[in-house]
Amino acid sequence: MIQLKQTLLNCIDNSGASIVECVNVLKKKRPATIGDRIVVVVQKQRSAGSEATTAAALASKVRRGDIRHAVVVRVKKELQRPDGSLVRFGDNACVLVNKSGDPIGTRMNGVVGQELRNKKWSKILSLAPIHV
Amino acid sequence: MAALPAMRPLGCLRSLVRASEPIQPFVNRRFISTAYSKRPERVPLPPNMPEQFLSQIPLRFRPDPDREPLKIYPAPPSARKACKDPVGAVTESQLAVLDPTGERKAMFDYRRNPRSVKTGDIVRVTFKNGDPFNGIVMSIKLRGIETSFLMRNELTRVAVEMSVKVFSPNVNSVEIVQRSEKKRRRARLYFLRDKKHDRRSVENIVASYVRQKKAFLGGGNRRR
Repeated sequence: MIQLKQTLLNCIDNSGASIVECVNVLKKKRPATIGDRIVVVVQKQRSAGSEATTAAALASKVRRGDIRHAVVVRVKKELQRPDGSLVRFGDNACVLVNKSGDPIGTRMNGVVGQELRNKKWSKILSLAPIHV
Repeated sequence: MAALPAMRPLGCLRSLVRASEPIQPFVNRRFISTAYSKRPERVPLPPNMPEQFLSQIPLRFRPDPDREPLKIYPAPPSARKACKDPVGAVTESQLAVLDPTGERKAMFDYRRNPRSVKTGDIVRVTFKNGDPFNGIVMSIKLRGIETSFLMRNELTRVAVEMSVKVFSPNVNSVEIVQRSEKKRRRARLYFLRDKKHDRRSVENIVASYVRQKKAFLGGGNRRR
């Protein structure tokens, strides 16, 4: 259930964002779920404590206030699979992507939902350590 | 034409018609009675009545030779009589297909079978397609063929819950890794979602179980 003005998501790649806010759900009139593309605003950077001149901050590809596209990879709302099983995660999380759909980060930490496979996000799936 | 003097006496037919409507006497009426009075029967038209008199009778009371009698069809056969309990029948037929030995049913029938999976146990489920899933059983829903159980685990520090249908052909096996230490008084352990009661990851318990099992089965050469 990821929608405008309400949802803060964890960003689980190494693009530099840690918390992002959903501002739009693309190609859908309903709340976003795993595998859906959304538009986000970066609210918190991963290296928030250190100065902007440090190497970590320079390496981060996004800054606070940036508007980016993202793909939802985990949702709290339970999802039903075709075989009747349900999957529910402990948080909402996403991965930043550029306009053409390639992930901005090069690494990911954390599980992702298997629904990404059906929605042609195999690049994200290959980066993820586990998928459930 | 109706005003022709010769037809005047036929005016009495109107009273016949009126008699066919229900009579409700209003003499000394002080309350509404719901007493049922039988509807008076229709008085048949006099036989051999000249045709020209028909025009004096209201349309709906005129005999119509063209009108066919209403066809009355018999009611369709009752589906209820054919099958008293369709849901039960479907459940039974499906169970016969998906669980012919009754093994899985017994494995999750925690009300009758003391050796069954219970809430609080740690189980490992393997699927025909995809990776196995381990978790602590939070609830078992006994719903006939829809019977399912909910597992909870933590993967990469993110809680994951998964509900699986017991009789799904996709489920390869369900193994009990560890029984719960104490008897659970609740049927549904939803409190495991609270921070205080969360068991966190059960991966290492399952990993040690898998290692032991492999050693027991001889290097893991044998397939399950």
